[in-house]
Amino acid sequence: MGLDFGQGAEQTDGNIITTTIDKVVNWGRKNSLWPMPFGTACCAIEMMATLASKFDLSRFGSEAIRFSPRQSDLLIVSGRISIKMMPVLKRIYDQMPDPKWVISMGACASCGGVFDTYTLIQGVDQFIPVDVYIPGCPPRPEDLIDAVIQVQQKITSGASPKGVEAVYE
Amino acid sequence: MSEENQVEEQPKPLILQKLETNYADALLAQDAARGTVVVVIHKEQAYAVLEYLKTDPELAYTFLVDVTAVDNSQMESELMQFDYARFMVVYQLYSYQGQGRLRVKVPVHENDLNIPSVTGLWKGANWLERETYDMFGIHFDGHPDLRRILMPDDFEGYPLRKDYPLRGRGERESFNFEKQNV
Repeated sequence: MGLDFGQGAEQTDGNIITTTIDKVVNWGRKNSLWPMPFGTACCAIEMMATLASKFDLSRFGSEAIRFSPRQSDLLIVSGRISIKMMPVLKRIYDQMPDPKWVISMGACASCGGVFDTYTLIQGVDQFIPVDVYIPGCPPRPEDLIDAVIQVQQKITSGASPKGVEAVYE
Repeated sequence: MSEENQVEEQPKPLILQKLETNYADALLAQDAARGTVVVVIHKEQAYAVLEYLKTDPELAYTFLVDVTAVDNSQMESELMQFDYARFMVVYQLYSYQGQGRLRVKVPVHENDLNIPSVTGLWKGANWLERETYDMFGIHFDGHPDLRRILMPDDFEGYPLRKDYPLRGRGERESFNFEKQNV
């Protein structure tokens, strides 16, 4: 069997697998992340390249881009967010069903980037919890793939998303 | 006659001839910048001159390219030239009749920021004047819907004024989610 259910999963005689429900569910979540793209700038171009055939994010199970937050569990914030856009982003994040993960892609979403001005949010993590940050201006598609893999590793390890931690703190 | 003199004897552009004939008292200054005729018009006659520029059959500046403003508060040379008017409202016009481009500038004093709206002449002025209002706080009298267009509705201040701090006054760290219409 090529399936890896992680530690605690035991394979007996080739026909029976004992594991826990959490591990099976997390295995499913990990391999079917449905991203909600929030592309507002040039990072979104790199995100499109990541999804297209050359880099092909579907190799990692995340090709089902959902433009409805209610059908997605991974928010990719790719681009600069102004103070007028931030309430929209917050509402989209709130609309996503739990468990949900957030990738802050690129310098602008993570810290404002070069736009240190009156109108730009200096890091979306001031207002929504972020699980994985990607540096770069813009990051290469490989960086975004790496971030998705990091989210998958978080799911496999059983760690709660930052958003859930924030609720129970 | 040397070649230099021949260059100087180019005929005066038609637009300047006509303005000098019809609106000599409104014409504060004239200039040419990279092939574009620039005229500075007194605010009281700005609407009349712009209407003339659009409706005159020979000039026919039917296309309003842009409306914007300049804050000259740190440009002493500009301030002195036009009676210490802080703002300069700029209209970029284009004529398909062969007159080409024209830039009309109107000095506006800080204590009287009202200027007639040109939405009655060019409908495209609507959003351009809203942007100028949003960024500089210039009030366009007679505008059908003078609201902010880029900044949030509850934003205070006019960010393209030179006295507005680049990093803002704390708007980006503390703004009210509840007040915003999403």
